[in-house]
Amino acid sequence: MRRERAVAGVGQAGRAGIELAGRSWGAWVRWTRWAFRLGGGVNTAREVGALGLIALGTLVTERGRASRVMGRLVQEQVLRAGVRLLPLVCFLGVAMGAVIVGQTTLLLEQVGQGAVLGPLLATVVVRELAPLTAALVVLARVGTATVAELGMSRASGEVEALEVLGIDPVHYLVVPRLVGFSAAVVCLAVYLVLVSLGTGYVVAFVRGLELRPMEFAGMVAGALSWVDFPLVGLKTAGFGALTSMVICYHGLARPLRMEEVGEATTRTVAHTLVACLVFDAVFMPVYMVL
Amino acid sequence: MNEAETILELESVVIRGRWRDGVEALPGPLSLRVRRGETWLVLGGMGSGKSALLEAMVGLRALGGGTVRVFGRELSGLKGAELAAMRRRMGLVFEGRGRLMSGMTVLENVTLPVCYHGNVDVEAAAVEVGGWMEEMELEGLADVGVGRLGMAWARRVALARAVVQGPELLLLDDPMGGLDPVHARWWRGFLGRLRDGHPRLGGQGVTLVMATGSPRALMGLAGRCAVMTGEGLRDVGGCKDALGRDEAWTDEGDGEE
Repeated sequence: MRRERAVAGVGQAGRAGIELAGRSWGAWVRWTRWAFRLGGGVNTAREVGALGLIALGTLVTERGRASRVMGRLVQEQVLRAGVRLLPLVCFLGVAMGAVIVGQTTLLLEQVGQGAVLGPLLATVVVRELAPLTAALVVLARVGTATVAELGMSRASGEVEALEVLGIDPVHYLVVPRLVGFSAAVVCLAVYLVLVSLGTGYVVAFVRGLELRPMEFAGMVAGALSWVDFPLVGLKTAGFGALTSMVICYHGLARPLRMEEVGEATTRTVAHTLVACLVFDAVFMPVYMVL
Repeated sequence: MNEAETILELESVVIRGRWRDGVEALPGPLSLRVRRGETWLVLGGMGSGKSALLEAMVGLRALGGGTVRVFGRELSGLKGAELAAMRRRMGLVFEGRGRLMSGMTVLENVTLPVCYHGNVDVEAAAVEVGGWMEEMELEGLADVGVGRLGMAWARRVALARAVVQGPELLLLDDPMGGLDPVHARWWRGFLGRLRDGHPRLGGQGVTLVMATGSPRALMGLAGRCAVMTGEGLRDVGGCKDALGRDEAWTDEGDGEE
């Protein structure tokens, strides 16, 4: 009897040990996988950064070269990532204004905290929400299609064809997107700010806000300092540049087969989001100091 | 002919890539010397590496060894603007549909190098290339998207895009592959005019290097032949002699993946 118990005890301990070992093994495998993913992410970040530096270098060294062709290509990108997205951005601005700005304004007035309305809207809408939303709209509507387009160009040998013609593919394919997307995101963010603040005021006014339009505008404007304009502009253009670089990297890094396009676009969205949020975080200490 | 007239020289070139059966380099090393005014035919079976060889000649392939000299300058030593300037003196017509820019029309494709290097808009470039478009029977297709073209016309657009820059050396990858007799006759006539000195190119003959697996259609044009074999690239002298002999140039190489 004692022996049976002892055997059962050993068996139980053995099973528990195996289970524990299995759990630790599983955890180890999971951590290793995460470490590899992180490593892969770091590699991708490094390569996107390298492409960005090459593109910026090309932009500077080749400035003025083929200006008519490049001007047309930049114009196409601004049209595609900016002008054509204006209706959608205006719609988002109205929604954002009604839901976020309108409610926040009214709530602050009701609890007698109207004094913080300006700084709050300046921080949330002008500095954070509008630039990020504009970049995400460009990413969603144009970015994914661009990845597929560039990937197919690479697969069909168009990049090599450009090289044979003595045309630098970075200058012809990447630089117009870098410039065009940056400009487009900045313009869309401006529209987003204006439309959302305007709509927000209208909604709050209809629901009983006792502020005149100029008072409301003055409160928001008063919360912004002169340094906000270059900083927000830089940040927003940075979002556009980052978006374009991640898109170009995933489109041109390797020839894409049809079945790989989906995965490449998914990676593009994920990597752009991470890149934009990390870039956004860089500005936080600056705002805290200011 | 003296050494100064050599415009393309491959010396012990090793071309690396991913070929089937784990082969990582073309048989070789490959050596070839092309002099100004010559017309070469590079013969080889399907997958023997003819396309890779032409790509190495314009510096599109990283070499595993050896040197490629074009117009007396080593390609691997050229970067950026210098390499681009060198490439403008050469032209490469890719096989199949010629790797045209898919989102553009015929005119935009043909004028692309003129617009970019001449810093002019398409309208101005169209005037410049109008003669070529007419001669190549492309003026009626100017506004057609290249995606809608058949292979024969697409390849002709690719040829137009290569010649509008006035190349001194023109490389053609299987130019007659899959062409019907009408198109093939046109190509023979046009390439003959380029070889003999086209008036639009100042009467200066263009040096041609054509890779093909079916040489009979080009035999009348070419003066010299080289064969891609299992041992590398072999200069077999005159084309008629090469074709006359029962050469094993159709030996299947290791097809590229």
